[in-house]
Amino acid sequence: MSVEVTHLSVRAGAKVLVDDVDLAIEPGTWCTIVGPNGAGKTSLVETIAGLRRPSAGSVSISGRSLLAMNERERARSVSLVPQHPVIPSGMSVYDYLALGRVAYHGLFRNASPADRAVIESVVERLGLSEFRERDVITLSGGERQRMVLARALVQSTMVIVLDEPITGLDLRHQMELLELLKGEVAECGLTVLATLHDLTLAGQFADRLVLLDQGRVILDGPAGQVVRSDELAEHYGMNLRVVDVDGADVVVPVRH
Amino acid sequence: MAIVMVVTLVALVGAVIAGLVIGPTSIGTWRVVGDALSHVGVGHSTLTPLQSTIVWQLRAPRMVLGLLAGAMLAVAGGTYQGVFRNPLADPYLLGVAAGAGLGATFAIAGLGGGLTTPSWTPLLAFVGALAAVIVTWLIGGRRLRSSPATLILAGVAVSALLTSAQTYLQQQSTGSIARVYIWLLGSLATASWQSVSMVLPYVVVCAMICVGAARALDVMSVGEDESRSLGLPVRRVRLVVIAASSLGTAAIVSAVGLIGFVGIIVPHIVRLLVGTSYRRILPISVFFGAAFLVGADTIARTVLAPTELPLGVVTALIGAPVFVVILSVRRPVAL
Repeated sequence: MSVEVTHLSVRAGAKVLVDDVDLAIEPGTWCTIVGPNGAGKTSLVETIAGLRRPSAGSVSISGRSLLAMNERERARSVSLVPQHPVIPSGMSVYDYLALGRVAYHGLFRNASPADRAVIESVVERLGLSEFRERDVITLSGGERQRMVLARALVQSTMVIVLDEPITGLDLRHQMELLELLKGEVAECGLTVLATLHDLTLAGQFADRLVLLDQGRVILDGPAGQVVRSDELAEHYGMNLRVVDVDGADVVVPVRH
Repeated sequence: MAIVMVVTLVALVGAVIAGLVIGPTSIGTWRVVGDALSHVGVGHSTLTPLQSTIVWQLRAPRMVLGLLAGAMLAVAGGTYQGVFRNPLADPYLLGVAAGAGLGATFAIAGLGGGLTTPSWTPLLAFVGALAAVIVTWLIGGRRLRSSPATLILAGVAVSALLTSAQTYLQQQSTGSIARVYIWLLGSLATASWQSVSMVLPYVVVCAMICVGAARALDVMSVGEDESRSLGLPVRRVRLVVIAASSLGTAAIVSAVGLIGFVGIIVPHIVRLLVGTSYRRILPISVFFGAAFLVGADTIARTVLAPTELPLGVVTALIGAPVFVVILSVRRPVAL
C-alpha cells in the first residue's frame, strides 16, 4: 500500500508543527524521518497514523483519505508503534497482542480462529512463544518493545508507523528490533514509516530518508545520499562525519 | 475465575434468602420457599396472610431494590475506574451525589414554595444528579482528550458548589435536617415495588451497556492514542459509558439516597480476585455488588432491630476490613 501526504499542515493553537509537507511513499518502502528535536517528526507520523487531524492537506493510504475511514478501517490500514507505549499491568502478552485484532472482530465478539492464527503466527515469527502467558509488566525493555512491534504486526496492516521504536534499548536490542522489522518488510512487503534519532541506524535500515526541520521537508532522497549531505549537519547544528565501515555508513558527531 | 464466579453466585443466593427470611418477624426459610412455589402452582403455602405481606410487600421489594442498587453502583464504579483509568473513581465522581443531594434537600425541606413536597424527593434527586453530570461534562468534556483530568476536576468543582448550596439550604430549614441527613446516608427502608419498577429499566439498560463496554475498557487500558490506533472509537465509547454509568447511578440514588463505598470497593475486591480484565471485573461486580448490598442491608436492619443502622455505615464497616484482608493476601494490581 502506498502512502500519499499532500500539502499537509498540522497546528497546535498558533504553533505550526508540520508545514506543507508532501510525501509519496511507494509500497514496500522503508522511509525514515530524521531531524532535530522539535522538528515535527512525531506530529507528522501521528497524523499519518490518524491520531491527529490535519489543519490543512491530506493523508491517503492507497488513494483513500484517512479522514474518509472510520476507526476500524483505519486500524486495518495503518498500525502504530508509539514512542512511549502504555504497558497495562496484569495483562498477559497474548491478551496484549490480541488487542491488535479488535479492529477485525469488533467489541462484541471474541477473536475468531483466523484472528488467533494471525496472533500465533506473529508470536512464532517474533520469538515470543516463551512469554505468551507472562504479565506484560514483567518483560524487559527489549522484550516489551518486541511485543509492541508484534501487536502492530498482528493488526495485519500493510503500512506500519513507528515513532522512535528503539528509544531506551541497548545496542543489541536496537539492532535486533530493526532486523526483525526488516525481515517482516522483506517477507510481507510492508511499507514502513519510522522516526529515528540514530542517523547511522536510520541510514542502514531505511531505503529513503526525509530530513525534517521546523515542520518542513529539507531533504528527501536515498538514505546514503541524505546521510552524506552537508545540509544534514547544518540542520542538526553540529559537525557530522560519515565513515564507511565495511560498506556501511556510520555517522559520527565531532566536537567543534 | 470460575471459583470466584461460583462463590459470588452462592453469596448472591444466600443474600437473597437472608433478605427474605431474616427480620424481626421470624419466618422459616422453607416456609418462604414453599410460599414462593405456591405462587407458581407448586404445593401449598403455610404462611399467614400477615407473614406473606411481610415477605412479599416489605422484604422482597427491599431485597430486589438492594440487588439493583448494589449491582448498579458496583458496575458503574468499575466502569468509571476503567474509563478514567483512575483507581479512586466511584459512581459519584462527576457530581451525581452532590446534585442528587441538592435536589433531595429541596424536596424534603419543601423549598419549592408549595410546588414541591417530600414525595418529590426521588424525582428532584434524579434531576439534580443528571443536571450535575451534564454541567460537569459541559465544563470538562471538550478537553477530555488533551487533559483527561479536566473532567474529574470539573466534577470536584461542581460537587463542591452543589454541596455548599445543599448545606446552605439545609441550614435554612432546620426542621428537616434530620430527614435530609437520613436521606444522605442512604437507606432501603422506603423500598416498594413501585420504586423497584421505577429504577429497574434504568439499571437493566445501563448495567448492560457498562458490561457490554468491558472489551472496550480493556482496549483503553493502553491509553487513548493507542486505543484509537487499534480501531476503538474512544470518544464515543467514553461518552456512552459515562452516560450509562451516570444515568443508572442517578436512578439508584433517587430511590435509595447516597450509599457509599459499594461503587469504589466492590470493583477493587473483584479486581484483586480475578485480575485486570474488565470482561471479568464488570460482570462479576454486578453479582458481587448485588450480594454485598443485600447482605449489608440485612445486617443494617436486624443487628439493632427495631432500630436500623444507616446502610452506608454498614457497607463501610463490612467492606473495609474485607478489602484490607484481600489486599494483604493478594498482590495488588494496577488499573
